[in-house]
Amino acid sequence: MRISWNWLRSLLDTDTLSPQQAADILTSTGLEVESCEPLEPVPGMLAGVVVGAVRTCEKHPDADRLHICMVDLGQGDPVQIVCGAPNVAAGQKVLVATVGTTLHPAGGEPFAIKKSKIRGAESHGMICAADELGLGTDHDGILVLDPAAVPGTPAAQQLNLRGDHVLEIGLTPNRSDALGHWGVARDLVAALNHRTGSTHKVLLPAVDGFKQDDEARAIAVEVQDAPAAPRYAGLTLTQVKVAPSPEWLQERLRSIGLKPLNNVVDVTNFVQHELGQPLHAFDADKLAGGKIIVRKARAGETLVTLDDKERKLDPEDLLIADAEKGACLAGVYGGAHSGVTEATTAIFLESACFDAVTIRRTARRHGLNTDASFRFERGVDPEITVYALKRAALLLQEVAGAKVSSAITDIGAPRPWAEVDLHFATVDRLCGMPIAPDDVAKILQALDCKIAARDAQKLRVQVPPYRVDVLREADLVEEVLRIHGLDRVPIPARLMVPPVLHEAVTAEAFGANLSKHLAGRGFREVMTPSLVNGARAAQLDPAVEGTLVRLKNPLSAELDVMRPTLLFGMLQAAVHNAARQQPDLRLFECGRRYAVDAKGQVHESSRTALLITGQEGRESWRAAVRGSELADVKAETELLLERLGLAEGSSWVPAEHALLGSAVEARLGKHSVAVLGEVKAEVRKAFGLGQRAWYAELDDEALLALVRGQRTTFREVPKFPAVRRDLSLLLDRAVTYADLERIARQAERKLLREVGLFDVYEGDKLPAGKKSYALRFILQDPQKTLTDEQVDKAMGRIRQALEKEAGAELRG
Amino acid sequence: MSLLERIAALEAELRAATAGTADEVERFRIAFLGRNGSVTALFDAFKQVSAEEKRALGQRLNQLKQAAQARWEELRQGATAGPATADHALDPTRPAALDPAGTLHPITLVRGRIVDIFARIGFTVSEGPEVEDDRHNFGALNFPPDHPARDMQDTFFMEVPGGTPAEGALALRTHTSSVQVRVMEGRRPPIRTVSPGRVYRNEAISARAHCMFHQVEGLYVDRDVSFAELKGTLDHFAKAMFGPEVVIRMRPSYFPFTEPSAEVDMSCTICGGGGCNVCKHSGWVEIMGCGMVDPAVLANCGIDPDLYSGFAFGMGVERIAQLHYRVPDLRLYWENDVRFLEQFNAEAFRS
Repeated sequence: MRISWNWLRSLLDTDTLSPQQAADILTSTGLEVESCEPLEPVPGMLAGVVVGAVRTCEKHPDADRLHICMVDLGQGDPVQIVCGAPNVAAGQKVLVATVGTTLHPAGGEPFAIKKSKIRGAESHGMICAADELGLGTDHDGILVLDPAAVPGTPAAQQLNLRGDHVLEIGLTPNRSDALGHWGVARDLVAALNHRTGSTHKVLLPAVDGFKQDDEARAIAVEVQDAPAAPRYAGLTLTQVKVAPSPEWLQERLRSIGLKPLNNVVDVTNFVQHELGQPLHAFDADKLAGGKIIVRKARAGETLVTLDDKERKLDPEDLLIADAEKGACLAGVYGGAHSGVTEATTAIFLESACFDAVTIRRTARRHGLNTDASFRFERGVDPEITVYALKRAALLLQEVAGAKVSSAITDIGAPRPWAEVDLHFATVDRLCGMPIAPDDVAKILQALDCKIAARDAQKLRVQVPPYRVDVLREADLVEEVLRIHGLDRVPIPARLMVPPVLHEAVTAEAFGANLSKHLAGRGFREVMTPSLVNGARAAQLDPAVEGTLVRLKNPLSAELDVMRPTLLFGMLQAAVHNAARQQPDLRLFECGRRYAVDAKGQVHESSRTALLITGQEGRESWRAAVRGSELADVKAETELLLERLGLAEGSSWVPAEHALLGSAVEARLGKHSVAVLGEVKAEVRKAFGLGQRAWYAELDDEALLALVRGQRTTFREVPKFPAVRRDLSLLLDRAVTYADLERIARQAERKLLREVGLFDVYEGDKLPAGKKSYALRFILQDPQKTLTDEQVDKAMGRIRQALEKEAGAELRG
Repeated sequence: MSLLERIAALEAELRAATAGTADEVERFRIAFLGRNGSVTALFDAFKQVSAEEKRALGQRLNQLKQAAQARWEELRQGATAGPATADHALDPTRPAALDPAGTLHPITLVRGRIVDIFARIGFTVSEGPEVEDDRHNFGALNFPPDHPARDMQDTFFMEVPGGTPAEGALALRTHTSSVQVRVMEGRRPPIRTVSPGRVYRNEAISARAHCMFHQVEGLYVDRDVSFAELKGTLDHFAKAMFGPEVVIRMRPSYFPFTEPSAEVDMSCTICGGGGCNVCKHSGWVEIMGCGMVDPAVLANCGIDPDLYSGFAFGMGVERIAQLHYRVPDLRLYWENDVRFLEQFNAEAFRS
């Protein structure tokens, strides 16, 4: 919202504030001044340029086209100025740029006036042409003023130039009380008076002079929808002479960025921006039946608005109609047919209060955002309608010669003032500092509240109806505090911390530690969108189609469902990098995946995803570079489980996975805590990734629950030596290591401490369909040193079980 | 020189001998233990001495031989540990790192730093769902029924089976303030918690706006919680986050769920308040919104506003990150370009 400083100042009884001071105060009361810029009709406002009287004017002895003038600048002796203009002559009143002045010529760079010598003659200034002053493009000669001009008068004063400042206020939606210059002035004065002890007042334009001139024209008003139009006032004006507005009115409108149109429209705009009350002028002769009917639009009804667009109306749109058809989209936009034109001589002037929600819906529905709808949406003062009408009528009498030709119609009941108790203790408690009861009362009175009663504990406050946002005690505290000034609330020396206990292992700390571990392992954390392409997700994994969490109003098909897996975002990150000479990647992300069940319940679960692709490790003289493989992502998952203390008791089970090949799942008890595998070629290719990639997704919540259930207690460090035995086994390819370990552990529950795989051979020296695993077994008895006999017995059991259950053959 | 003295001298010589390469080790062996080596030579001399002397010297001589062999073994091990060992000795400046460096994402770093600062002054961490019902995202937070935020133009709504839930239409939460409601519903005061998380707005993606971003919300509800405490808490945060020299200012503002409400500005960390492009020459940069929890919100969550008061605040993680890192385009955070991410290598150690 634009506020003109000159206009605002016309409503204040003080001249001592600077625009910047006012802006700072307004910002501190909650009317945030986003910018405060000078508005100058001429750049620099011609500072340093004064009226001069040319006393003498003689030809320059050494130059044909130059004159040497003695110019009286109203102060001291006349100064000598060399002038090249053809029209300069003695006796003229001219504008002189004195030495030191910076001029901003039209269409040129600014330049400074210096004392100089021109062809041997000293020159103390410059007699200016209009274009040199930035006053236009005229360069035919110097600007010659009215002979009555007084030497020494500043040019700005002589030319009646008035500078202004424009304050751009970012109005919060609750502040319907500050929708015009008047409301802004009220806050400014309230804060100024409270903070400085001054006693300024807001100068409210008087309307005492309002009177009805005749009864030439009456428009009957019928409000059919009172809830949508709780207050509707109007009057008729005749003998209106539509013409351009006087300069002062045009200047006001221009200063806030409005284009003056004609005196009638300009007055309605002026009052709107002065008081915050939107007005609408209808051409009274165009209102069929001489009637105004305030009603909702009928099904199928249309209205051609001022922009000459025919709009289909909704039955929820409020319409100002005449006896036959719509004349205005109430509170939003005027109709073309009933608008004021140069031919208009009689107008019906509307000043109403419309329901905020109705107006907002209509404005949104039709994509219209007008100065009027902006105000009605926030809620205008229902009690100001008649005052605004009188103010506008007086102005129209003044600038358009209009006659008030009807009584004021005023339909709707006055809205009562809310009564709210405000306890001084509540103010002090919520603010955290004492504010004197007298100050509390004065602040509220400065904001147009009335104090109906007061005792030692509290005030009974009556709140004007335009403060739609002030209905409760807390609201009054806010009013007091914002005028008092938030910056005057002291920062306490101590912060009080209540004893609130954290959970034993917080998800936050768990996630942070997990992330640090992975970063330490060479993974780069990525952040990928939680919205993905639903069609692609369903195509790659038809099983998720029914569980996708879909958006009703997605930005695009690329972002239309919540991700069912973190894989897609990881692949996008990999593709982005692979295409930019960064093909060797270890990436991770901690985030949520989403699914909906048949009942519409949405499930969000936290996952950590790992993706490895390209070469592993840095290229180095120390080790040969190798491509990444499934075992890399599995190694990281195993290591993580080990760090979490969950490796023991976990088992790996091959799994079917729609997106991953060679997939395997880590299980702990009945929980599946991780799944990993190679990203299927068709999946990565759907994202444009040409190179192979390996992926793991961990269930953070399951892991956290398991970690929370653990506690470290000391165990005796083994005193007796462990024994290692190796077995080299020939196996069917289908047999998995997990099978072998499980079988071995079942066969020897007591002494077998650890099983490992230290060599694998799958080459062509073996029979078809076979592979060879070399297994390591560590046996240990915590109570005593094992004998060879015990070890042999245990290994015998293990070997037998492996032969029997896994079809293993012992190799030499 | 007596035999005994020669033994002692050789012992010292053995201790001082070094050998960096296999060649040097071999030279050591030849010099001491070879056919003509100095230790071997002593055994020859030993043969010459009397039987009594032999008894006295024999043990010492055997000790010397063992020491020489042990020393040789020691040097041999040192020199032959690997084919490259010798090269190390020649150029220990060769780059040796094999594993790549990892990093945390800048948004994680900043989010973590924010949460840590509040955790140190007694705030717990709470999380809540991103797919949220109307009650938790809007209704209980005092948003009027017709508030524009409830529009499809501003908010993403969900298309889920089973119709509208009792708690209102499901949408992607537009702020982490929804977690406030969940925490207050589930716990009695004192409540002192921060809620970090991802939030969503129906906005076209550009350098300056994104449909997904991150917020950290804070909430403190107890008896007699005041605006002054809010100010003290946020002043502490700003100084802990940006340095002890920063100051904050508060301006009244409006949020449906706080009353009074305020925007918090911080003295510009770029220009120190003198005015620059970052602060649009005002000397101040906006860092968050805050206020006293609206009594209606407390009541909506089953907390008696006559007994308790509270404050709440909320900030954008990307905004705070922007003031730290000056990343010119929000989309860089989502692109995950390794050359972008690696710029934050050391940040994890700077918090």
